[in-house]
Amino acid sequence: MENRNSSTADKELLLTRTLNAPVELVWEVWSKPEHIAKWWGPTGFTNTISVMDFQPGGKWTLVMHGPDGTDYPNESTFVEVVPNKRIVYEHTSYPHIIATIDFEDRGEQTGLTWHMLFDSREDFIAVAQKYQAKKGQKENVDKLEAYLTGIK
Amino acid sequence: MKARRDVFQAIADPTRRAIINMIASQPHNVNTIAEKFDVTRQAISLHLQILIDCGLVAVKQQGRDRICEAKLQQLSEVSGWIDQYRQHWESKLDAMEQYIEQLKKEKYGKQE
Repeated sequence: MENRNSSTADKELLLTRTLNAPVELVWEVWSKPEHIAKWWGPTGFTNTISVMDFQPGGKWTLVMHGPDGTDYPNESTFVEVVPNKRIVYEHTSYPHIIATIDFEDRGEQTGLTWHMLFDSREDFIAVAQKYQAKKGQKENVDKLEAYLTGIK
Repeated sequence: MKARRDVFQAIADPTRRAIINMIASQPHNVNTIAEKFDVTRQAISLHLQILIDCGLVAVKQQGRDRICEAKLQQLSEVSGWIDQYRQHWESKLDAMEQYIEQLKKEKYGKQE
């Protein structure tokens, strides 16, 4: 059921990146909560990771704190943890996502692939639309703030 | 007066997406479209009507045929949302990359 094939192409997000660091370092940055909290973002957010049981079946609770004080709780369960190779987690709070992160050892470099699979195309678009709406709202607030600063 | 429909509603349904895919490369008449799908003609008519209301499909009469043509400019709205959302995740990777650079400096700094 979870085959990765062309039928999932319309409900997935695939990010790839080559990092200038050995796989051990990249793995470290993914496997320890004190590291993840530093980069999980988004910009202007802070993160609290209260639970990170980094093993198959283990829970992961990450709360993102927005600049306006809003908290965004994220609950996940680790499905696969293969050191220096692969992490699979299931994001169990909304939106439901199965995320697979593959690490490829290329000596001084690491190839990283982050695959996120949504339940359906509808879900994927709804999440993207919601994100867009929120971003639009935030931009409006930013513009208003800039404007108010300007007239002070 | 009809309620304004949006592109999101238009493509939220798999049959409507299949109709768009079918006519995207080449206009088809309504009968041909209806024959391709395992649902009633009425259902296809309703789907087409929604696509027309959203501006994704235009119909023109050619003799006895009603030809449906895809108007795909509207879909760029959806790909825009998805691009923005992708950007949100890409920026996590940017932050991670910067953080790794910082860690490398700290590690090498200690060694030397």
